[in-house]
Amino acid sequence: MGKEKDILYLKAERHIQVEKEVVKLSDIAKMTCSDSQIVNHLKTITVYKFKKDREKRKVISILKIIECIHEVYPDMTVENLGETDIIMEQIKVAEKKGVIVYGKVVFVSLIAFFGTAFTIMAFHNDIGIQDVFDNMYMLIMGESPGNITIMEVSYSIGLAVGIILFFNHIGGRRITKDPTPIEVEMRTYEGNVNTALVETSNRERKSLDVD
Amino acid sequence: MWIKEIFLMLIFGSFGFIVSAGVFTVLLAVGLIPRFAGKTHTGDHIFLYEEMVVAGSIIGNLWSVFQISIGLGQWFLILFGFFAGIFVGCLALAIAEMLDTIPIFARRIGFRHGLGLVVLSVAFGKLLGSLIYFFYRLASPLQ
Repeated sequence: MGKEKDILYLKAERHIQVEKEVVKLSDIAKMTCSDSQIVNHLKTITVYKFKKDREKRKVISILKIIECIHEVYPDMTVENLGETDIIMEQIKVAEKKGVIVYGKVVFVSLIAFFGTAFTIMAFHNDIGIQDVFDNMYMLIMGESPGNITIMEVSYSIGLAVGIILFFNHIGGRRITKDPTPIEVEMRTYEGNVNTALVETSNRERKSLDVD
Repeated sequence: MWIKEIFLMLIFGSFGFIVSAGVFTVLLAVGLIPRFAGKTHTGDHIFLYEEMVVAGSIIGNLWSVFQISIGLGQWFLILFGFFAGIFVGCLALAIAEMLDTIPIFARRIGFRHGLGLVVLSVAFGKLLGSLIYFFYRLASPLQ
């Protein structure tokens, strides 16, 4: 019953962020094994060290990690249930929540606000909404519309309700528990960025991998 | 008469409802806001951005449907033009990118280096095109 016959299961993350320069195995993957002492030991193993003033992002292959584990436990069977390429990133904590961040938030908010205001107006202009309104009014009421009719009001209400339901929240409160469309899209975007990072790094042979 | 009024209300209510769904699905499919949030590393504030999208479209709708005059002066015009311009510029390129025009073309002609130059050219082309468009009033019908 040698210890090293055990199987180590690990689940590697896709994208990890560390504050320190050393990346420990526990930062990269969750591990489990029938012998908890092995897991505790492995958690403290250093996988990678960020060099000062160098790139703050590195892609590491799971094979390299298995190699690290085998250096300590040569006969260990390792089963990876997670990602095969891991993006390691060193972040500075002090940078968070500065004036710059709020500036960026305001900037993006302004783009979102004015941009969509412009888009909806351009759309109305595009389809000639006033003509549609006038013609529909003639068709249904049999008379020329006045300045502002019930159509404009109900159209605007419909539009507002549609947008609010679509984005699923109003005034900072969610209507249902689902994630909002942009939250979903944000995760998709992050996933795409991570995939691109890994593939670029592999193609440029900058990833940390076994030979 | 009330029947007709109610009928109008119903159909234009649904018109607005469906228009918002259509227009915002397109905006979202292009993924502009996530990209802004990703670029500026402010992913925690998506909620706020969405509220801004909601507020912007409702107010833009009110302006264009009811033609309300707000009289805020020139500084507001500059603000509006600048940020709306950024949004439309990103939108135009995001749509081009979604259709994979650039990657496909780059592959066909065996394009490897100088992507930065191409992006710069696209930006200046857009700027020039936009200026010519407004300067010569290309939107108005030919004489």
